[in-house]
Amino acid sequence: MDFIRDFFVNLANAWTTWISGGLPPWAVTVVNYLVVGIILVLMPVIATLTLTWMERKVIGRIQNRIGPNRVGPWGIFQAIADAVKMLIKEDIIPDNADRPVFNLAPILIAAAAALLWAVIPFGRGMIGQDLNIGALYLIAIGSISTVAVLMAGWSSNNKFALVGAFRVVAQLLSYEVPMVLSIAAVVLLAGSMKMGQIVEGQVVPFGLVLPLALIIYLLAAIAETGRAPFDLLEADSEIVAGYFIEYSGLKFGWFYIAEYSNLMAVSAIATTLFLGGWRGPGVAAVPALGPFYFAAKTLVVIFVLMWIRGTWPRFRIDQMLAFAWKALVPASLANLLWIAVMLKLPVPPGVQWALMLAGNIGILAVTLGLLGQAAQRHAERQGLVGA
Amino acid sequence: MADPTILTTAADSTLPFDDAVSGAVLEATPNGLVVAADKLLELATYLRDQQGYDYLSMVTSVDWPPYFEVVYYLYGVAKPKDLLVLKVRLPDKVNSVVPSLISIWPGADLQEREVYDMMGIRFAGHPNLRRILLWDGFQGWPLRKDYKESYYEEDTKPFKSRHPDGKHLWAEDRVPWKDNITYPVAWDPDLFTQPTVQYRKIMGVDAGGNGDGKDLKTERVLINMGPQHPSTHGVFRMVVAVEGEQVVGLEPEIGYLHRCHEKIGERNTYIMNIPFTDRLDYITSMSNNLGYVLAVEKLMGLEAPERADYIRVIMAEFTRIISHFIAVGFLFNDLGAYFTPALYGLRERELILDLFEAAAGSRMMCNYMRFGGVFADLPAGWVERARDLVWNRLPRVMEQFEDLLAGNEIFLARARGVGHLSAAEAIAYSMAGPMLRASGVPYDIRKVQPYSIYDRFEFDVCCRPEGDVWARFRVRMDEIYQSLRILKQALDGLPEGPIMPPGKRQYQIRVPAGEAYSRIEGPKGELGFYVVSDGKPNPYRYHVRAPTFINLTSLEKMCVGHKIADSVVILGAIDIVLGEVDR
Repeated sequence: MDFIRDFFVNLANAWTTWISGGLPPWAVTVVNYLVVGIILVLMPVIATLTLTWMERKVIGRIQNRIGPNRVGPWGIFQAIADAVKMLIKEDIIPDNADRPVFNLAPILIAAAAALLWAVIPFGRGMIGQDLNIGALYLIAIGSISTVAVLMAGWSSNNKFALVGAFRVVAQLLSYEVPMVLSIAAVVLLAGSMKMGQIVEGQVVPFGLVLPLALIIYLLAAIAETGRAPFDLLEADSEIVAGYFIEYSGLKFGWFYIAEYSNLMAVSAIATTLFLGGWRGPGVAAVPALGPFYFAAKTLVVIFVLMWIRGTWPRFRIDQMLAFAWKALVPASLANLLWIAVMLKLPVPPGVQWALMLAGNIGILAVTLGLLGQAAQRHAERQGLVGA
Repeated sequence: MADPTILTTAADSTLPFDDAVSGAVLEATPNGLVVAADKLLELATYLRDQQGYDYLSMVTSVDWPPYFEVVYYLYGVAKPKDLLVLKVRLPDKVNSVVPSLISIWPGADLQEREVYDMMGIRFAGHPNLRRILLWDGFQGWPLRKDYKESYYEEDTKPFKSRHPDGKHLWAEDRVPWKDNITYPVAWDPDLFTQPTVQYRKIMGVDAGGNGDGKDLKTERVLINMGPQHPSTHGVFRMVVAVEGEQVVGLEPEIGYLHRCHEKIGERNTYIMNIPFTDRLDYITSMSNNLGYVLAVEKLMGLEAPERADYIRVIMAEFTRIISHFIAVGFLFNDLGAYFTPALYGLRERELILDLFEAAAGSRMMCNYMRFGGVFADLPAGWVERARDLVWNRLPRVMEQFEDLLAGNEIFLARARGVGHLSAAEAIAYSMAGPMLRASGVPYDIRKVQPYSIYDRFEFDVCCRPEGDVWARFRVRMDEIYQSLRILKQALDGLPEGPIMPPGKRQYQIRVPAGEAYSRIEGPKGELGFYVVSDGKPNPYRYHVRAPTFINLTSLEKMCVGHKIADSVVILGAIDIVLGEVDR
């Protein structure tokens, strides 16, 4: 029974004990690293296989359709069929492409997507490597995909890809700023960059204390993963597929895998930073519940992102950048400042947190009010009649 | 209903407008004023500025044995003014030149190119006179009467070779490329080389770039959007010159779906053309049918029975609802809404198509109208189903659309102020339909010049002053409400009675010689059919005024200065259907 209560950690311990019997300690470390590494590298593939099916089902239902229902029960093998199709497709490289860069880009983007999983805690003690700069690591690794996307867009020698690459530089770099600032708010509150410690610190999920930071993080995360309504990198109705227009077969598959892995990763990060990670009722007694809470919360976030994709039209690039620089960055800066001041107030933590919540809501209200006014002014300048 | 094409011209010596522009009008015929080619520009300027004929609706041409005739249809739109037809006769068939009207009405641009393409009449002063519907290496001028196509058999259908001994012979059973191919005179396929296309220079960028990366040296980049592109609504190509994201020049390239509609129309007998009109704008086949049969009925002097008129109006308004649902839905697709609004629109379309299927036997290619009536009466229970849709379901769906789409902040940010066209510009560019009304011109043919029985119904002309993409969306949404209003009245007032005029139905109708132009307010704009008859069983000239084709003229004007993303949305707001644009 005790074994079941903390099933995953106990399983890992039993495994380590078992292989320690016949191997020297350094070999045990190497084998364990390999096993964990393989599990984490498989995460993107698992994410792609499950999330493509889920997205097609969810968006199908949003659109009054059934979605995939032919391959297997409820179409669950659709993703596998798609994967097979992708594997057997011809690999085409354009004549004038910059071949090394062209070939390197999908590898780089998939690697970045896999690396993110190293610092995400699935449960208590279930983390690839609890770095003491975990949050910083996430940001650093997240930036790699910018470079990869830029490489893909430039090396393809295609004008649509080039326009996509322009947009990548503008969009991904702009949205990194509010993203970092909203993560910094959490780091301030938790007093640590360690992902494990951030989760441990969430007696109340930080999303309830810092709703503004959560919203800003989610918006920036959508932009960073290039999903609707910020999918300008690959805007299919404008620049067809954007930066990966010239990729086919498995190389295209890597972009696809990276896209869904990133979707899952940002949802997992949002869960970890704002929604209490693996915490939930009964976790203290039965730690094995942690991963299930974590997965459930992550799925909820993913569902919200899919819902947004199925509903909203896309922003335009100038509107998007203006939104980042003129709304998200000031709001998250103000938020950060407010939290820093509150943390120094000589009052008990409960009062501090209540004040932070009040400040968050206040900043959110002011931001929305200013945005509304700006839209009104813009409409008046253009001589437009109100909607 | 008075025939607007017949002018009450003076039988006496004074010719119209002779006091203002002397010598311009050579002759006043019942079908229009014959104008001297060298005085055309002067007369057109006078008509536009002094007489209020501010709208060049249609430019086309007819190949008469002694001369070419270029036909101009003018209306007054800012202040509604009835039709004025100008005709320029060009006896020199080898070197026929008319002055281009593009400086007076920029809306003449694409239409004059089409006339050049089809008839070989050159327009002096046109900045970009090259083939438009046909490909740039094409030999010959296909709508000239002496043109024989490659597999030419006979001038008119039914071809005798297909009916030996009174039995039908399928064309597919023969090997057409074996023995009956005829090439144009002095054209040898072995000597043919693809000509270099001389595109207009778009804002200093030579559009002849072949995309090998060597033309990237300038700061401006040329992007070919289409013909294979997710948002061009078919095989349409926009050559876009961009600086970064900014559009600095644009040229529409069309003709990828050209199917020789007018040439086929001249080979066909009159009734054979009805199913062909279905394929023009394949979203709105009922309206196309209606426009064509009205034109031929006008020539024949035929009136449809009352019940048929009501059924026609019901079908036309249902078609308008379909078309606007699709236009709005796919506009959101162009905005990046990932198919959700489009599929919501398509779901309602399915229900209306069910009704069409029940009445006409076909969902999309209805082929339902006939000269003097409709093909079949409504089946039992049809009216009840239609009433359920009109009274219960569609108003509710419209509420959903308003909730989901109309108030969406992203949509407002993307659509307002984008693709602006002022009222004067919209008229000058010959815009029609929702495009014109969204620029603040309350011009609706159903009100201005009611056809069929539209004068019996109460409805408002939907009009917005903004002239941007948002206004075009809003006008379409409002028109759905007005269509529902008309449908309610029509379904309530639907009388019993015959659906065809008395007498035996004829497949080979007799159409007296003459010419007729009938225009209807199609869902996408003024849909006109110009039919010239010489008394034979097939039309002598058959021309379609395709609203979306002419609406494309202003595309560059609307797009320049906006982003690439906007150009896609602006195109989506024109609501083109390539079947009609390319014909």
